[in-house]
Amino acid sequence: MSTSAIVIAIISFALGALLALLTIPVLVWLERRVAGLVQDRLGPNRTNIGGFRLGGVVQSFADVVKLLLKEEYYPSHIKSGKWLFMLAPIITFAAALLAFMAIPFADSMIIDGESLRISALPIDFGVFWYMAISAIGVLGVIFGGWLSHNKYSLLGAARASSMVVSYELPLGLSILAFIITYDTVDFNAMVAWQSGTFFGFLPSWGILVQPLAAIILIVSLFAETNRNPFTVAEGESEIVAGFMTEYTAMKFAMYFMGEYVAMNTASAVIITMIFGGYQIPWVSTEMLLENFSTFAVSLMVVVPIIVTILIRWMRKNNTVRPTVSTDGGRDFETKVLTIVMIGMTLLVEAILIYLAFLTDSALANNIAITLFQIVVFVVKLMMFNIFFILIRWTVPRFRYDQVQKLGWYYLLPLALLNIFITAIVVVGVNL
Amino acid sequence: MSQNIKVIPRHGSSFKDKLYLPAIYDGVKVTFKHLFKNLNDSNAVDTLEYPEEQPTDITSRYRGLHRLTHRPDASIACVACFMCATACPADCIFIEATARKDGHDEKMPKTFFIDTLECVFCGYCVEACPCDAIRMDTGIFSLTGNNREDFVLGKEQLLANKGAFGEEICSARN
Repeated sequence: MSTSAIVIAIISFALGALLALLTIPVLVWLERRVAGLVQDRLGPNRTNIGGFRLGGVVQSFADVVKLLLKEEYYPSHIKSGKWLFMLAPIITFAAALLAFMAIPFADSMIIDGESLRISALPIDFGVFWYMAISAIGVLGVIFGGWLSHNKYSLLGAARASSMVVSYELPLGLSILAFIITYDTVDFNAMVAWQSGTFFGFLPSWGILVQPLAAIILIVSLFAETNRNPFTVAEGESEIVAGFMTEYTAMKFAMYFMGEYVAMNTASAVIITMIFGGYQIPWVSTEMLLENFSTFAVSLMVVVPIIVTILIRWMRKNNTVRPTVSTDGGRDFETKVLTIVMIGMTLLVEAILIYLAFLTDSALANNIAITLFQIVVFVVKLMMFNIFFILIRWTVPRFRYDQVQKLGWYYLLPLALLNIFITAIVVVGVNL
Repeated sequence: MSQNIKVIPRHGSSFKDKLYLPAIYDGVKVTFKHLFKNLNDSNAVDTLEYPEEQPTDITSRYRGLHRLTHRPDASIACVACFMCATACPADCIFIEATARKDGHDEKMPKTFFIDTLECVFCGYCVEACPCDAIRMDTGIFSLTGNNREDFVLGKEQLLANKGAFGEEICSARN
């Protein structure tokens, strides 16, 4: 292995870990803010460090400190299987975290003829990895519910296992349809397939090529992540907190964070499989590399526009009504953030000018495009996470027999039908 | 009678309802509209920036913190009849009576304590009082303290509370 390969591997791994772990506080905050705004209230916006509230993100870090400092309460009625009781949240969390690692954040970089993957685990069987690891997550839920020795927890665990039999088959079959279409089990190759066009003008994203399988995939992944409308295992209005009832402090936080990591992972899988991954529509990596100066110039135009909109939005909304006596340092924060954002924009512009006109190093262009693709990936990821959150605050919960009915009577036959049609079309096209 | 029966059609059996996705689309449209509107102008969200912003909609009938009223000559209106303490469902009023020397009545409270941590703010004491001596028209809705004893209000504190709606003097037997 060359030095560049080692460096890229380390950076990709760090990036994967950061994207999975650092998004947890952001997602918790996003959930609370989006819930608030959907319900015509504000959500957490008070916590700040020296006047910097960043829209309230600081609240999540305060919550982390709170959970860490809480008493590590251990229910005394649990006599047997203590170690598994402690291990269960870790299983859920680790499964969600590991499943995320196979996702590519950018197209493979080609340095000195060596193709280097920008994903935490440089494997070319990412779909299998994802399916194998993410299915373990529910074991943590079942163990936790079973070993809590609590009626509600047991009911939660029973519901979780009933969920597994409902969604796993449609999930697997819809992914199978994508594997047939893309003819690969490699996430990166899937994204590359989706970079092209379809009927000449549509981006060949999975959702347009395979709409039925895409819907089944999204529904099944909502079920897999235990998010609404499939929170039957928690069922907070019926069975207290379901499998989490006996868990406190960091043990609870592990389940809690695991849910968000799983949501993040599901979003990443959805955008990688059906929304073109790290690519912007109609544009493939080769096109970007060939027309690098065009790309750089258009980015030079787009970035200031986006930053201007952001600054205008911040100046309008990071304020208080005139009736409020003090703004709690919001004015100062807006000023500092405006300067920081303008400074970063100027830096990006300078780098782009240098890359577009002053140098023609292929490596520098390559790195710039990789960074751009990572940014696109993160933006798409966050957009889909917001969609997850929006669905949670829109749709009421299914009863768990309804989930089974949905899985077995509707999704499974549809997925099977879809595979037949896909197979016929793929064989017909390749004749 | 039969003319008054209104038959509500049962929804959920049509193909569109069974698909479930159009309903989700409609729901997401509503929630997204709210999200976008509030994201665009968060100051228009109708919430109170408490405590920087104080509520303005407290009416004269609002049951706030208690006060003991004065007579026109600034002496205490209470005659220690124990009616409020008897009416109190939370048993939070503690009165000790003493002989009155200022020529108004025979009795007055020596001590008058209200444990606001026990109080349920039902207003029965105000209803029971024959002398209009206890009122809940201070408009104070939040009481803070550093320990439990701070919340047990004595006679002096209750007399010091001002009415927020212009009726300062007790209106009985002037």
